[in-house]
Amino acid sequence: MLSILTSIFIATASAQTAPPVVTPSDFWLPIGASVQAHNVDLMFNIINYICYFFFVVVVGMMVWFVIKYRAKPGTRIRNDGMTHHAVLELSWSVIPLLICIAIFFFGFTGYVDLITPPKNSFDVNVTAFKWGWQFKYPNGAQSDNLVVPSNRPVRLVMRSNDVLHCCFIPAFRVKKDIVPGRYSTLWFQCDIPTGPEEKNGYHLFCAEYCGTGHSNMNRRVVVLPQAEFDEWLVKQAQWLDEIPDDELYFKAGPKIYARCQQCHSIDGTIGLAPSWQGIWTRITTPGGARFSDGKSYADIIGPGKEYATPEDYVRDSIYNPGKHLVATYGNVMPTFKGQLNDRAVDSVIGMMKHLDEFDAKGAWTKTLPPAAAKTETKSEMK
Amino acid sequence: MTTIVTPRPELLDTSATTDNYLTFTRGFRSWALTLDHKRIGVMYMSAVLASFFVGGVFALLLRTELLTPGRTIVSAETYNQFFTLHGAIMVFLVIIPSIPAALGNFVLPIMLGAKDVAFPKLNLFSFYLWIGGALFTLYSLAAGGFDTGWTFYTPYSTTTTTGGVIPVLTGVFILGFSSIFTGLNFIVTVHKLRPPGMTWFRMPLFLWALYATAIIQVLATPVLAITVCLLIVERTMNIGIFNPSMGGDPVLYQHFFWFYSHPAVYIMIVPAMGIISEIISVHSHRQIFGYRFIAFSSIAIAMFSFIVWGHHMFISGQSGLMNTIFSLISFSVAIPSAVKTFNWTMTLYKGTISLTAPMMYGLAFLFLFTIGGLTGIHLATLNTDVHLHDTYFVVAHFHYVMMGSALIGMIGGLHHWWPKMTGRMYNEKAAITACIIIFVGFNITFFTQFMLGSQGMPRRYYDYQPEFQIYHVISTIGAYIMACGFFLCAACFVQSLLGGKKAPANPWGGRSLEWQCTSPPPHDNFSSPPTVGNCYDFSMLRWDEKEQGYVVDKELEALAIAAEARGHS
Repeated sequence: MLSILTSIFIATASAQTAPPVVTPSDFWLPIGASVQAHNVDLMFNIINYICYFFFVVVVGMMVWFVIKYRAKPGTRIRNDGMTHHAVLELSWSVIPLLICIAIFFFGFTGYVDLITPPKNSFDVNVTAFKWGWQFKYPNGAQSDNLVVPSNRPVRLVMRSNDVLHCCFIPAFRVKKDIVPGRYSTLWFQCDIPTGPEEKNGYHLFCAEYCGTGHSNMNRRVVVLPQAEFDEWLVKQAQWLDEIPDDELYFKAGPKIYARCQQCHSIDGTIGLAPSWQGIWTRITTPGGARFSDGKSYADIIGPGKEYATPEDYVRDSIYNPGKHLVATYGNVMPTFKGQLNDRAVDSVIGMMKHLDEFDAKGAWTKTLPPAAAKTETKSEMK
Repeated sequence: MTTIVTPRPELLDTSATTDNYLTFTRGFRSWALTLDHKRIGVMYMSAVLASFFVGGVFALLLRTELLTPGRTIVSAETYNQFFTLHGAIMVFLVIIPSIPAALGNFVLPIMLGAKDVAFPKLNLFSFYLWIGGALFTLYSLAAGGFDTGWTFYTPYSTTTTTGGVIPVLTGVFILGFSSIFTGLNFIVTVHKLRPPGMTWFRMPLFLWALYATAIIQVLATPVLAITVCLLIVERTMNIGIFNPSMGGDPVLYQHFFWFYSHPAVYIMIVPAMGIISEIISVHSHRQIFGYRFIAFSSIAIAMFSFIVWGHHMFISGQSGLMNTIFSLISFSVAIPSAVKTFNWTMTLYKGTISLTAPMMYGLAFLFLFTIGGLTGIHLATLNTDVHLHDTYFVVAHFHYVMMGSALIGMIGGLHHWWPKMTGRMYNEKAAITACIIIFVGFNITFFTQFMLGSQGMPRRYYDYQPEFQIYHVISTIGAYIMACGFFLCAACFVQSLLGGKKAPANPWGGRSLEWQCTSPPPHDNFSSPPTVGNCYDFSMLRWDEKEQGYVVDKELEALAIAAEARGHS
């Protein structure tokens, strides 16, 4: 029965999924890809069988008694049942207690293994924010997906920019809340590489409710053999530097905009934050009150004012987003200080200046002239 | 009972002998200002059922939205408001007051043999506090709604831009006091208003359960009041208590919140367990098995409930040592729950079981609570909880306990005492059909969610991976089936009110005191002091052809009382 259901579920589920994002591997659990998964699954299955046993006992007795002692109209009241039985009642207090203590103990030892990272672990810094992730590597590389080496313990050192988040990788059976104001850690080791980043990987979810985009914080965990990982790491650290300055806005811009688009549309769609539509005209032409404190752009941008150039204003809005709030919008944007460097900010500003070249999703709609196309092949990264 | 509804002579007979609480006085004021616990109970019940309807509509909207990944009918913001409202309404407006305040208010004094609760005015006040809390919750919708989740976790709840957060927190604060006053009333009533002969161990188990619940209500709810106050202070005055950017600690909030909300889980389930003890015993017409074990297990659960809150926080950043201690203590709750379950099952053994509508709900409870309770083991165990925490597995688990057990227990109790409350019988076959539809729909809806959760689907998700869709579709179909069952159930009750057969004083052959007064009970409950006997001794019942049910045989009863008197002397 169980296996038939399992095959139905797996068949239906895998038919709809692009490989090899994790599909159910049995009736209850997804594929277990980390070294810790085995113990967790074993415990889960043991508890399951204990549950099956007690369920069958209780419901079986219930059904049996109801059938056997069901009163047909006219039946006399039978009055020969026990009113209590100390030994019986004590035994079904004590036996479950012993089983519970055993389960607790194995759950506890398993948990200690689950939360204690080995000393030689590879550290990745994780920043969670509304609504996305930033993964930072020791060499300065940054990534939107979590790319890790295989056959090596990986430790995530996590912090949050705003509210509670929670890093959950079902295939690795690990999960940890990310609490603003403190670091939390999580470790795993995966020995099954997933293949290159483009479309492979295990799911990574945010499991602690964090607002509108909570369910869109899913990323992929890509596991690469050590050699491939080292290569990826070097490339990843340099990708922004290798793009020529004049191509930044359409090559790097859309990639960075992907992190802004949850709130800022570029086609005027009203979101949680002001749309970028017409932004450059808006901030460079003198206008009426634009900020919640009544000031206009002209009051703060210009020679001798708070921001000498519009570029300065945009840059500061990315690093100190709460300083000037556009009227009717709340202080919800996290800071990107330490996450976007000068070239990244240049890319964003460049994109704002050429918004007409991008479609509603932030994809560049123009094509490169033949000469530039050649450079593209050469410098294509990631 | 028979299911044929025919106008019978006694229906037309509004004789002077039946001066019941419904006809005692008339007019809006006589209800609005009543101090009669029965009327307050009925008003509570109507209000709770209305809230249940609203919460249920939100549940169906949620399930409909989840039919497909991405947008199906509403936006992410709206979805977040929907699940928050569903949770907040069901927890604070429906389940917490449903059994103690609605059924308990009606049943407790009569069952105890008292004329009313100890403080009737406080009782009425607690009802109006409930109304006040409900109005604030309603107002919060007008003020912009709230999308915090019913748990109001900080710092999201103190920074979200939705405008209804403070109104709803105020509502929760007020509802808390409504709950405290009900609990206080019940404790004093049980201690002080027991008639001669009603010793502690002669009390029906429902009263033990309500007493245990009342202790939790009085001790735990003030903590909730303090917590929401601090939240309001932080949100309005920017005093850093929970928000780390102002020097607070979000994990502290979780401790405060679960210090109330874990015991609150038992405010919901323990009274339902009490109802099931009554239903299973009365409809099996058999002495409850292991009375003392069941009574003490209610008290044990109430006590344990205060020291296990940390199992909601195994991955929250609480220390490993704390997790270990809380995991160990959490298992202690399994023992009294197991005792109750086994004792109920043994009560069926050698019984004389009538498969009435309340009994069907009782058996459904036993089935669903067994699943709900057993899956708690996965979540109390540390390493499996790490995987299952904040997934649909948890959603399924607490729906099996909160809805499959607490609410099914409440609906079962409503069927059990409906003849007493309204003086009318309902169509039993239709009521049993409704119960079966609800039971089937429930399992389709929530059993699927166990798999969804263990496969890794986090809860409170608007959008999801396509491989989870099959589970969501099945779950949603189950929810629609369940809704049909509830509508049939409601139709049964409406039909009963409009044209139900007149109920006898004791339709089920019950032995506790409420079955000794007429249906509906008179204004003062008892015209003469009731005789308190063993409320689980069914030996004096005989089958009555005319009533098509078991009735108390006066001669056998006299013999039994005489025998008991001899035993005592």
